[in-house]
Amino acid sequence: MSVFKHEYHAYEGRVIPRSARIGVLVRYGLSEAWSSRITVGLFTLAMLPVIVDLVAIYLANNSVARMLVSPGSRFPLQIDDKFFLRVLSAQCWLALVVNAWVAPRLVSFDLADNALPILLSHPISRFGYVLGKLIGLFSILSLVTWVPCLLLFAYQAYTSPGAWFGPNLQVAFGLLAGSVLWIVVVALLGLALSSWVKWRMVATGVIFAAVFVPAGIGGVITGILRTKWGFLLNVPVMMTEVWQRLLGAPAVMRRDLELPDAAIAVVLLAAIAISLALLNARIRAREVVRG
Amino acid sequence: MGVIELEGLEVRLGGRHVLSGLTGELRGKAIGLLGPNGAGKSTLINTLLGFHTPSAGAARVFGLDSRRQRAQIRERIGYMPENDSFIGNVSGVRFVRYMAELAGLPREVALERAHEALFFVGLGEVRYRKISTYSLGMKQLIKLAQALAHGPHLLILDEPTNGLDPIARQRMIQTLREIRNAGSIRLVISSHLLRDIDEICDEVMILKQGRLAAICNIEEERRSHRNFIEVETVGATDALSEALRERGCECACFAGGRMKLVMPDSIDVRDLYVAAAEHGVEIRRVHHRRDSLEDIFLRAMDLEPAKGELVRL
Repeated sequence: MSVFKHEYHAYEGRVIPRSARIGVLVRYGLSEAWSSRITVGLFTLAMLPVIVDLVAIYLANNSVARMLVSPGSRFPLQIDDKFFLRVLSAQCWLALVVNAWVAPRLVSFDLADNALPILLSHPISRFGYVLGKLIGLFSILSLVTWVPCLLLFAYQAYTSPGAWFGPNLQVAFGLLAGSVLWIVVVALLGLALSSWVKWRMVATGVIFAAVFVPAGIGGVITGILRTKWGFLLNVPVMMTEVWQRLLGAPAVMRRDLELPDAAIAVVLLAAIAISLALLNARIRAREVVRG
Repeated sequence: MGVIELEGLEVRLGGRHVLSGLTGELRGKAIGLLGPNGAGKSTLINTLLGFHTPSAGAARVFGLDSRRQRAQIRERIGYMPENDSFIGNVSGVRFVRYMAELAGLPREVALERAHEALFFVGLGEVRYRKISTYSLGMKQLIKLAQALAHGPHLLILDEPTNGLDPIARQRMIQTLREIRNAGSIRLVISSHLLRDIDEICDEVMILKQGRLAAICNIEEERRSHRNFIEVETVGATDALSEALRERGCECACFAGGRMKLVMPDSIDVRDLYVAAAEHGVEIRRVHHRRDSLEDIFLRAMDLEPAKGELVRL
């Protein structure tokens, strides 16, 4: 078709493989997310603790620099599994903030103007659509969580005077596994809730509420009934336990308040299943124009 | 190979039959999908696109089964839905390019064709504006542009002139005619506006209450109904129409004693007067006229088909 000829002809050229079209959704999703200055601001904010941690690792491993920063006093910071548990916790909560802003941007625009019938009339399935959005969100949240965490780990392994890498390999695994688990849960939750809430700012609030309101309810249950099972609704407590176990760090809870692994796994799987069901129901309902 | 083939197609939604026993083959360059609201036009389109799974029978597009080869069908189809459907916060060219890339076009080709499609539909000058700022007519055109950009072999348009003012409507119809005349693309246009279908299509499928009321080639239909008469009567119209049917006429009755007749060559207009006199019917006016799509449609609506049976017009 040519502008000047002004006539239409069907396209007969090369097409990209069907599996690669999920990449189109990812690319446009990322572009949409980063087009907002607030996303850039939140990302910068999420990097600030990493810079602080980087300096801490540098100082912990460099006695001359330590002397210059705090002369006469012994630098108290130890770079160990507890340090990385703090790093991971901080980055994961910042990832929740980024997620609460980005997830609605990925979904709400498609739903606000009813774009799904057109999007899904192309050779892409509901599963492909959700997967594309999830990969986009996963990659953004990865930049805030496991990527900087593992870079800090690598830097510590590089600057540590002793053999540090081998004995602390579980920490690296824990950083990766803990981050991925958190990203999957919050990303699916974010996409699912965003798909049901029309206004983006409200969706952002609902995502925070979905994490912290059950935590409050769980706290009430724990306080009134004097049972540890209320912590199953308390995402901050539960995830801290998960990260601590994955990193092999010392326990943060009293032994009698610790939750069993199976119970935590069931709660996380239930959260994922509910998110997927919500997404499926919403997208299925919006993919066709009812006539 | 037909553009669309239906074999006893049944679709159930929410426990009720929305489409029942549709059977037929459509081969036209521009196919009109007609029917009153709720007849099942949009459901049929959604079934062809693979959004609805047939509960029985099959629907094929270019020989591809809508149930098993959904992705292949969608690659060959450009779809323009009835309602607003776009991403409002992006520019026109970005939206069209996005859709073209989803259809499988490489990035550079998608961008080039997005620009071309926007110029083709007449949105070239506003292609960098956000879609949310477009007028209703522009929003219809952007939907058409995204349906065209990836170069489909079949363009499915659901109520393309919905909400357009007369000038925008004429422009849309002109654009669709140009696409049809270019010849490399087939059109399926769903509408309840007979005039739109009449101006663009050469074949129509008429649906009524989820059943196939008629399939006909408009031009052939017009040619075969040369001896077409409109009559205004006073009196026992039903008895007259029954008598005329017995003599081989096709007859449709309307309110106010109006009748439309297709007379076989063996019957003369004089016989009409004779029959009217026999039944005490006064003929007030006789008008020879060309068969319109409205007549075809009304006949199909008038005749109730048995399940699975196709009405012959």
